[in-house]
Amino acid sequence: MRHVPDEELHAYLDQALSRSQCVEIETHMAACARCSDRRDENAALRDRTTALLAQLTPRSLIIPPPYASLEERRIDTPAFSRWQRSARRAAIWAAGVAAAIGTGWAGRSILGPGGAVPVPAQLAVTPPSITSAVPLASIARAPEFVPAPEEIVTPRQPTREIVNRPVSSRRVEAEITPAPVVQYISAALPTRVDKSLDDAPVAGPASRSPFEHIWRSVQWEEALQIAGSGLPFIEGMPVVGVLLQPGSPGERPMVIVAQQDGSGEVIQSIEGPVSKVTELLERQARPDVRSSSLTRTPPDYIEDHGSVRRNNRMMAVTGRLSVDSLNTLARVATIR
Amino acid sequence: MDDLERLYTTHYAAVVRFLYRKIWDADRAEDLAQEVFIRAMAHRPEKPRAWIFAVAANLARDEARAAIRRKKHLTLLKDDPVPLSTPDPSADEAVERDERWAQVSGALAALTERDRDVLLLWDGGLSYPEIAAQTGLAVGAVGTTLARARKRLIEAYDRTEYTADAARS
Repeated sequence: MRHVPDEELHAYLDQALSRSQCVEIETHMAACARCSDRRDENAALRDRTTALLAQLTPRSLIIPPPYASLEERRIDTPAFSRWQRSARRAAIWAAGVAAAIGTGWAGRSILGPGGAVPVPAQLAVTPPSITSAVPLASIARAPEFVPAPEEIVTPRQPTREIVNRPVSSRRVEAEITPAPVVQYISAALPTRVDKSLDDAPVAGPASRSPFEHIWRSVQWEEALQIAGSGLPFIEGMPVVGVLLQPGSPGERPMVIVAQQDGSGEVIQSIEGPVSKVTELLERQARPDVRSSSLTRTPPDYIEDHGSVRRNNRMMAVTGRLSVDSLNTLARVATIR
Repeated sequence: MDDLERLYTTHYAAVVRFLYRKIWDADRAEDLAQEVFIRAMAHRPEKPRAWIFAVAANLARDEARAAIRRKKHLTLLKDDPVPLSTPDPSADEAVERDERWAQVSGALAALTERDRDVLLLWDGGLSYPEIAAQTGLAVGAVGTTLARARKRLIEAYDRTEYTADAARS
């Protein structure tokens, strides 16, 4: 007597066999205890698999958004054909090359041959490496650049560039919650932090505009105004500096808030788009600087060709503490 | 309500789960699931159920490639993290849930890609012929693959559970 193989029993249990095949198997199992037992074993295996997979579900309840909203998004999204996409890519590439050539030419014209180049050192700045002992001084600072003394003395006064920076109406109208006095400890105060903070990178006007994606040091109030509701903050610790990198249009800026704990250790909270935060963490220069787990923060909703795209954002806390301590700090952090 | 809308209502959650088990990011899985259905609206495929899972698999593959390019630490991205202002559930429950999640996802990762695909497609509600069409297997081989995948998943899970129990005791 031919016994029913396991794969056929699975197909039988999954109702993937024809009616005649099912009848044949059922007739056989009625007379064969071994196959009947195998059927029960395979049924248990199948049920257990289903139960295990059910645990790998993102949420207990997945609610689809209204179908009409998808239809709206479809209508709003331009349907580019393959050649249109290629042409678009080619045009963007060509525009990029032309802009690069144009910038180089303009730079030559302005500076002249062999002229001093004070700004490009700032332009060449890459995202900062994260160190806790010298949190800001090592970041985005050009060796030649020395901030003007009055900028340090009156750091809270918003500059013209910041005021004129185009921000969305939502951000302009947002209420700015005054921070406690301790938060306004300037990055320039030498007594509380490392001496290197004396010349922390308070970016000069030349670096602020019109270039995007350049890290700049701003005061808490300015940061609140620019970043809207995206400033990570650990209650009870004075802020010693805020670094900010503007995002793409519609995207909130990436921010690094440096705070100091009771022992003088500097803790940095980094908040921004997932890819940028992870990239920054990977570029940590010092092995003794650790990072907390990433925590999700409110995403950006960016309008893209008439449809809205969600851009996830995360936050991490870094410093020369144990990961457990940093995770605890990340849990108590609030997003202002 | 047209066929596609009906399919959207009945299969949206299945597509989200399918994507989530491939990319391990709940929000992204939902975004991609919506993208799948938007594409289905534009294409109006003849066999929409098989089509949406095929497109979902392709999007998940693209997403995984992009994640590798960015060297993204997917393991750090927790499942729908609790908002900062919301208190955590009891610590024991959370730890237990995380352990179980890690064991099951580890067991799933231990399968071969083919076995995993077939298992997830079956769990997504696809029939044997639909799974065969998407994976390139013969219809008769789907049962064999599925039987093997289920067995290996349970074996891998039991192994991790045994290891975890041994570590606890």
